[in-house]
Amino acid sequence: MTRARELTVRGVPVRLLSGGAGPALLFLHGAGGAGRWLPFQDHLARRFAVEFPSHPGHGGSPAAEWIEHISDLAFHYLDLLDLLELERVHLVGASFGGWIAAEIAVMAAHRLTSLVLIDPVGIKVDGWIYPFLFAMDLPELVSTVFHDVTAALALVPGGEGPDTLLELARERAALARVAWNPYLYDPLLRRRLARVTTPTLLCWGEHDRVASLACARVWAAEIPGARLEIFGGSGHVPHLEEPAPVAAVVGDFCAACEGAR
Amino acid sequence: MKFYYFHLMPYPLEHGEPSSWVTLSNRHYDPAVGHVLYNQYLDQLEYAETLGWDGLCVNEHHQNCYGTMPSPNVMAAMLVRRTRRARIAILGNGLPLRENPLRVAEEIAMLDVASGGRVISGFVRGIGPEYYSTAVNPTHSRERFYEAAELILRAWTEPGPFPFDGRFYRYPFVNPWPRPLQRPHPPVWCPSQGSAETVEWAARRRFPYLMVFTPIKRIAQIYGEYREACERSGYTASRYQLTVNLPIVVAESDAKADAIARRNALWVYHVGLRMPLQFWQPPGYTTEASLRRLLAAGLKLPTELSFEDLEAGGYIICGSPGTVRDKLRVFADELRAGVVCSGFPAGTHEATLEMMQLFAEEVMPHFREDADVDETAGVGR
Repeated sequence: MTRARELTVRGVPVRLLSGGAGPALLFLHGAGGAGRWLPFQDHLARRFAVEFPSHPGHGGSPAAEWIEHISDLAFHYLDLLDLLELERVHLVGASFGGWIAAEIAVMAAHRLTSLVLIDPVGIKVDGWIYPFLFAMDLPELVSTVFHDVTAALALVPGGEGPDTLLELARERAALARVAWNPYLYDPLLRRRLARVTTPTLLCWGEHDRVASLACARVWAAEIPGARLEIFGGSGHVPHLEEPAPVAAVVGDFCAACEGAR
Repeated sequence: MKFYYFHLMPYPLEHGEPSSWVTLSNRHYDPAVGHVLYNQYLDQLEYAETLGWDGLCVNEHHQNCYGTMPSPNVMAAMLVRRTRRARIAILGNGLPLRENPLRVAEEIAMLDVASGGRVISGFVRGIGPEYYSTAVNPTHSRERFYEAAELILRAWTEPGPFPFDGRFYRYPFVNPWPRPLQRPHPPVWCPSQGSAETVEWAARRRFPYLMVFTPIKRIAQIYGEYREACERSGYTASRYQLTVNLPIVVAESDAKADAIARRNALWVYHVGLRMPLQFWQPPGYTTEASLRRLLAAGLKLPTELSFEDLEAGGYIICGSPGTVRDKLRVFADELRAGVVCSGFPAGTHEATLEMMQLFAEEVMPHFREDADVDETAGVGR
């Protein structure tokens, strides 16, 4: 069973889904994934106490005009950990959420037992330019993000009225605030990845067209000791496209880190 | 009523691409054709002065075939030296698109000094696709606009040097040479599509509000809101603060005008303004309050408008001189608009010159009760 809560983190309203039992695991979603408790979270909740917040401005949260930089979101989640009185967590982030997770890891590795990044964006990779998703209509977006397009059905909005449209507009704006230019990366993050002392797992969809496997190899080279797992049936969002195998690998990795504490 | 000749300087390409903006490949642009077009367009603007138009308008758009003036100040500079009387209205410079808006203050001042104080300076945010073309963050658009406008107005009016320390623009020394000739500064106009925030901002500063390509019902509504905002600011709006931009097609008969308009005016809406929704509305470009208003108004995209929609909706005016006079009367007497900025899409250069002459001879003289009035006195500053 999951429960939904509304918290206030330093004055910022946060919608939080929680479920499962075990060591605490914080999941940071990607664009369009706010507030959607899907099979991936179900799998993890069998072994961990999963905390799944919606980013400010996402999933029906109020617009977050205080956000100027990706580090604002990283600090926001450190504040959330304090509020939840979680000394250390397993941190799992997908795509945009992976970018935030990496920013947290370079700031405060001591708060993390493990770090899992699923097809993160956030660094500049020579020879790779992230496709400009803001310019795409829905069919192009889906075919760029997903290798298995049927997995996109999980992200279909709940309604079609003005409120739903405004919510989607608010999400795009919240994302653009930190990701429009430089597009989907923080120029300072890559050289700071050497500071990540947390055991790190990188999960990557083999057919990722947003951040290619070339990106994966750069992440794996920059984070000391990082392990890279590739999922052959996935594009940019393997936790949506192959939830069971991805959750099994993530769960085993986190459990092993837990045991090694 | 005052008449301003408005030129988009289109590159009238027919194509089947999904967008005429941002992604329409510039391999479609033939510079040799462009050379002819630019010179014809400038000839038309100069001819407009000869025929009695009060002002000549240029504007800024990027990476598209709809309007090929990425720098309106360059076109204004050419007009300044080839005209003597008409006002040169730059409608306008896209302030948030500039990394260094002090350059706008400098260029407008140069034009104002060189022209003997004939410049009108429009301040715009730029439309949605411009944020894709310039990579400026659209969520910063409004704040950059206000900040750049404040910087430029101070640069024109406060003795320099002074420091400016904004969120987006920071200068240890603001001290542009030259200063503008018009005192306290050239009139500022706000071309817009009716966002509540811009209406309020413009009204508070007495900046004329220009409704661009908008149905007449919405013009009436926004003019009403603007007039109310002026009253709240403690004054009554002059009619020269209420301006409109609409294409006019005039010919000897209604039937002939109808045929020309179907062939040429429609290009603007169905080709020139063709682009996907995400270009019209980049993230955060429109406030949630204004977005809600847009959704409630149920406005159509330009490509969804039929010729009948455009004509009946009052987006364009089309007909014989008599018909055009009657339709313009609605703008003059009911909407009480003081300035009409219009383009005359006629197809060929020669046809455009003829249409201009017909308008100047058969329509314009019927709206000249205010021939002696200076439309810029007391407004726009």
